Amino acid sequence: MAPTLILLIIGVPWAGALLIWWIGDTRSHLQHTLAVLFSLAAAVASILLIPFAQSGTALTLPVGGVFGDFTFVADGMGIFLAAIAAIIGCFAVIFSVNYMHGEAQLGRYYALVLFFIGAMAGLVLASSLLLMFFFWEITALCSYALIAFNNDDPKAVYGGIKALLMTQLGGIGLLVGAILAYSNLGSYDLNLFIKNSGSLPAGALAVAAFGFLIAAAAKSAQFPFQTWLPDAMEAPTPISALIHAATMVNAGVYLLARFYPAFESVPGWKITVVIVGVITALLAGMMALVSNDLKRVLAYSTVSQLGYMVYAIGAGGIFASQFHLLSHSIFKALLFLAAGAVIHSIGTRDMRLMGALGRQMPVTRTVFVIGALALAGIPILNGFWSKELILEAGLLHGPVWAYAIMVFTAGLTALYTFRCVWMVFYGKARSSLHGHDAGIMMKFALIPLAFGALTTWILAGPFSHLLETSLPFHEIEAATTMRFIQEVISAPATLVALGAIALGLAAWWQRENLASLTRAFQGIGKAAEKSFGFEAINTAVTTAFEQGAETLRNTQTGLLSWNILGILAGLIIVLAILAAGG
Amino acid sequence: MTLSISEIILITVILLLGIGFYGLLAVRNLIKVIVSLQIMVKGMMLGFVLAGRLAGNVSLGQSLAILVIVVDTIVAIIGLALAVQIRRYAGSLDVKALTTLKR
Repeated sequence: MAPTLILLIIGVPWAGALLIWWIGDTRSHLQHTLAVLFSLAAAVASILLIPFAQSGTALTLPVGGVFGDFTFVADGMGIFLAAIAAIIGCFAVIFSVNYMHGEAQLGRYYALVLFFIGAMAGLVLASSLLLMFFFWEITALCSYALIAFNNDDPKAVYGGIKALLMTQLGGIGLLVGAILAYSNLGSYDLNLFIKNSGSLPAGALAVAAFGFLIAAAAKSAQFPFQTWLPDAMEAPTPISALIHAATMVNAGVYLLARFYPAFESVPGWKITVVIVGVITALLAGMMALVSNDLKRVLAYSTVSQLGYMVYAIGAGGIFASQFHLLSHSIFKALLFLAAGAVIHSIGTRDMRLMGALGRQMPVTRTVFVIGALALAGIPILNGFWSKELILEAGLLHGPVWAYAIMVFTAGLTALYTFRCVWMVFYGKARSSLHGHDAGIMMKFALIPLAFGALTTWILAGPFSHLLETSLPFHEIEAATTMRFIQEVISAPATLVALGAIALGLAAWWQRENLASLTRAFQGIGKAAEKSFGFEAINTAVTTAFEQGAETLRNTQTGLLSWNILGILAGLIIVLAILAAGG
Repeated sequence: MTLSISEIILITVILLLGIGFYGLLAVRNLIKVIVSLQIMVKGMMLGFVLAGRLAGNVSLGQSLAILVIVVDTIVAIIGLALAVQIRRYAGSLDVKALTTLKR
């Protein structure tokens, strides 16, 4: 049963993608309906797969030759991420029915979304490193094509190409790691790799470990690659919710968590992961505080929350990171989709033009506030429990300074979240824009997600049990949900974090009185608006690259004789190296 | 000084390859370029037969040579057809006329 379901989760969306692309844009109503049906089928298949969780290979597709077998696993970590991809994907597609209504080229849109859902499920279910790399790149490709969906907008095309370049750069790290594993173990199977990682030469293992870290940082928009995600916000909002908040950006966290047992012993790896997570969470939190673009605020907060997950992995809290991943997927998809409803209704993303929209769109306001409370880590909502588990893991196993910065960032999170909520839904109206509430299909996607943000923490117990029984190499302590609740409530770390969150809230409340203090930090604010100079570094790198290419252009004469000479010279050099090397 | 059969063939192979390479480097007429290419491939073909003989696997070497003959014929046909088209398009057979892609 499990092999069939795995094939269905990947195959159904892909088949749907082909079909929707094939029926053409003239029948847009049919396209909407089919997209919803196919994504729903994938979501159902992914939920049905959960009881079949097992360790070890679940499905083998022999391809022969150097590729090895293409194998899939159905262990806890994989199926739960596949379920997130398929379910959030389904909600994003349902939301798109209203959001993309009347757009041209729906075929391209839905085909890419469904292609992405299948590829994302494949990425987390694959257990062959090579196959994983293929899916990894397919998700990057879909992400690029969907960011640049409005391809007559230069900003969208720029954002898409930037995302593609940066994630490709990281993909090289994954490929290098995969090839090293193959050359040392003769197999691409990742469970074999984790099991036998000790038998690899220390240097090769270290290269693989840091290669995977680069791949994960690029995919999850971690320091120093965090700049692509905010520019990816030119995508249609359901895409931002699905790819750039709930699923694809989690692939990096998944990669680190999956290979944690293999790389745990590599000297300096864990602390590097912690540092990457801490720096990212802090910088992105500050940038979220000064941004005026609604979607960018959410993008920075995504980067910041991903930093939390990476930090948790560095501190050894695999379960905490995966649990926060679950919570974050739900509340961030909710926030993005609600933001999409706002943007769809008033037609701008600039928060300075919003304000007092709550009365005009009460449903959207309610669900957005639920998502925002979860993001800020207010008790009872899912974000609270998972963030507390991360901070607890960080305090127990990580360095204290990192913990202190993360607690500070928790306060920062509360501050920017409430700034965002206030600027959009409360206060005084700052323009004459008139909003209308979310459409019926939008509500159909928003309300279950809001319900999820309120309740998914109940799954902590079963989820930890699932991970413990099906992951042979990870050390995960399973406990019941009650046990987790007791643990979180009784831990002193919780009080500290809650205090920080309350301080963040108080800072927003007293923002008038703190004006003098704000001025003192104006320098940091200015730097944050310029993304701390990373944008300048990016520009410098691309300019240098372009100039280098322009210089090298002179060597391309286009003349056959010169090209032959080049081939001949290359041949002689290779022969000389072979002769010298014996 | 007497040379064995294998050595004679090897020298021929190297000579054919050298002539072909020289032709590719020096010649600008597209027909002559294709002729040079053909000479090189003939050298390689002989090389396959020689390698089969030296490895004691004569039939493999010869069958590879026959495969190369087939492929090589196709290359020649397409190359000549392209040459005709280029003559019509650019008005000359000079390979220098083909550097327009650079700009």
